[in-house]
Amino acid sequence: MDYLLHVMILALIYSVFAMSLNLELGYAGLYNFGHVAFFGIGAYVSALLSQAGVPVSAAMLCALAAAGIAGALLAVPALRVSGDYFGIATLVFAEMFRLVCLNERWLTKGPMGLPGIPRPAWIAPGVDGMPAYLLFTFLAAVGTFVFIRRLTGSPFGRALRVIREDEHMAQAFGKNILLFKVKAIVAGSVLAGWAGTLWAHYISYISPADFTLTETMLVLLCVVLGGRGTNWGPVVGAIAVVFFGEAVRFLPIPQALTRYVAPLQGIIYGGILVVIMMKMPNGLIPEHRRKNA
Amino acid sequence: MSYYLQLLLNGVIAGAVYALFAVGLTLVYGVFRFINFAHAELISWGAYLALMFSSPPVSLPLYLAVIPAIVLTAVIGLSQDWFIYRPLRRGSPITLLIASIGLSYMLRNVLRLIWGSDLMTFSLPPARAFEFSGYYVTGIQLLMLASALLFLMILYLLLTKSLIGKSLRATADNLELAAIMGVSMPKVSAVVWTLASVFAAAGGILLALDTNLEPMMGGANLIKAFAAVLLGGAGNVWGALLGGLFIGIAENLSVAFFSPGYKDFVSFAVIFLLLLFRPRGIFGLLTGVR
Amino acid sequence: MAVHGVSLEIGDTGVTGLVGPNGSGKSTLFHLITGFYRLDQGAIFFGRHSIGRLPPHAISRLGLIRSFQHTRPLPFMTVLDNLIAAAPGQTGELIWALFLKPARVRREENDLREKARGILRLLDLLPLADELAGRLSYGQQKLMELGRILMAGPRLILLDEPTAGINPTLIRRLVDVIHRLCEQGIQIFLIEHNMPLVAKLCQQVFVMDSGELIFSGTPKQAREEPRVIEAYLGRENHAA
Repeated sequence: MDYLLHVMILALIYSVFAMSLNLELGYAGLYNFGHVAFFGIGAYVSALLSQAGVPVSAAMLCALAAAGIAGALLAVPALRVSGDYFGIATLVFAEMFRLVCLNERWLTKGPMGLPGIPRPAWIAPGVDGMPAYLLFTFLAAVGTFVFIRRLTGSPFGRALRVIREDEHMAQAFGKNILLFKVKAIVAGSVLAGWAGTLWAHYISYISPADFTLTETMLVLLCVVLGGRGTNWGPVVGAIAVVFFGEAVRFLPIPQALTRYVAPLQGIIYGGILVVIMMKMPNGLIPEHRRKNA
Repeated sequence: MSYYLQLLLNGVIAGAVYALFAVGLTLVYGVFRFINFAHAELISWGAYLALMFSSPPVSLPLYLAVIPAIVLTAVIGLSQDWFIYRPLRRGSPITLLIASIGLSYMLRNVLRLIWGSDLMTFSLPPARAFEFSGYYVTGIQLLMLASALLFLMILYLLLTKSLIGKSLRATADNLELAAIMGVSMPKVSAVVWTLASVFAAAGGILLALDTNLEPMMGGANLIKAFAAVLLGGAGNVWGALLGGLFIGIAENLSVAFFSPGYKDFVSFAVIFLLLLFRPRGIFGLLTGVR
Repeated sequence: MAVHGVSLEIGDTGVTGLVGPNGSGKSTLFHLITGFYRLDQGAIFFGRHSIGRLPPHAISRLGLIRSFQHTRPLPFMTVLDNLIAAAPGQTGELIWALFLKPARVRREENDLREKARGILRLLDLLPLADELAGRLSYGQQKLMELGRILMAGPRLILLDEPTAGINPTLIRRLVDVIHRLCEQGIQIFLIEHNMPLVAKLCQQVFVMDSGELIFSGTPKQAREEPRVIEAYLGRENHAA
């Protein structure tokens, strides 16, 4: 039962993470392969502040601000290049972040990571607090969903889609595409940071090894599998990926074979990504099923 | 002073290997205009296959084991193109990129499945160090330098003297025009992927000889190779070569000023700064694809 | 195709034409005026504003709006949405306004919807309002493009070959609309290959060849100007 709660919490956290990437990738067409850096910034800032004695809710807010500012700082230079080069620039940024976390031990304790991150005051630590944390993340995920839906269903979201489909046309109609893209990235970064804080205070131990290219690939998989450019897509994708990732623990696998499980999962994840690109680039939930603004 | 020269020497040797990786990567980019993340796995698979052929039950001596290793890696590289990239070429470049990310992850995990995640090494007698008036170089490092030079020389001859080399350069200039003019795309394709794989595998084996094998080894070096590609201008083979040397030297010299943990940071910073300020590279001609 | 040494002024004329053989730099000139190409040398003025260094979206906001040579509909949105999306300066495009001023955003959205319907009625496209733009015929898409431009409240419209590839009925409708726009004080600057149309519509015409301006005057004068004739005929000789 506890384990089920754990998986559900993870799925909800990853939903928020995936929704945040989808805002940039699915709606604005920005291939931000460094998105995990903002997840990490959110996690580290919130963890460090709350370990220093700041109340968790305040620490979380600061973490959101930090992630947003970092997003803006990355966006302005990175948007000078487009398409796949933008993807590389953002990816490299994420790796630089990870390297800094690994090396600046005085701040982040390097590869040892930060243990003992406190829970919010109203939630018990450890296993006892899990039902409350589930409620917390559920509300957080719902809030994120509503926020994103408002954003994407609005003229702002419409303008993003226009920019995604046809930049020149968007410019010809007075849209300041750079400004829109920066806003999309900042919004996405704040929400990624939000997911990061949710995760840090749940799992109570973070290290640079949690913010690698693998995590980037996983969240990309969530968005691509579920369907980019829709609101439910990343949620469906996140639930699918997390449940598949964790469900294997329920299978009766002989001890001798357990070391094969993770690589096999990896092969399947990578394989799914390839197959989706080849067969169903629109994912499980295509964007244009019905006419909408 | 001699400390810096030693670092410089190390840097040149490392750079020679990076040059091998960069040249392969830039060939693919020059012709197909996409960045293949799975190139990293060509590097690691080359090394691991050499390990496999030089271990029981096959137990070939290493200098023989590299041959089937490189050949098989070329098969992997050609298969990547044949089964996955070729069908996707008509689509958007971002689809190719994501597919290559997925493929890279897949191949890396097949590696982990077969050989596990622990560090491995070739079983060799300990490296013999040669001394030249105060500077140290191991036998392996000399081998790396010599091999890299050999490969690059062969490439030079291939590109400038042979018909297929000229077709390749024509295709790199203009894909559609080359096809219309009768350059055989499948042939050029096959040559490019074979070259890229061979170079990647060779470099991977050399690296593994010098240090060790682990499943992520390709990925770390891919980024350095990409930095070199960008420095030289995407698609520019000689630029990639010089870029590789530059990265190797810069990395090793950086150890004198920064903590060794930041060694990788050099290539990251190079990529980031170049993309922002000079996406065409120092010598470069081409810009990014939408 | 580089554009070199072009100096022209549109003044108060209702409809001005820009003609010339293929490759003479007409579209390039449009790109330069609207900020999509960078100006190496020279200056461009729109009213009192110097727009030579402005980005395209800023130029568009000043009321100088263009169409493109090939239609660029947003195929998965309806015709109505295509028009609404084109309106500049929507409050709903500001994130903070979405959450702090929802009523105003809603009101604006309704106003834009009404305006779009009005424009579609003018263009005789109202029956297609809820159709996916990708399903329209080429000619209908061209009219929709004009609709989008009108949503942006232009003072000067740059049309790049508006009648290319559309049937005579739609051409007549387009000409009708252009006349009505002129009556409202909107100026039109159009690139065209359809000479009879240019003669009928334009009070003033500029002729370009090989990146340079070779003539400016009325369409009738252009038809009789030897340099113009040579530009067209000479081009055909080369092509043959």
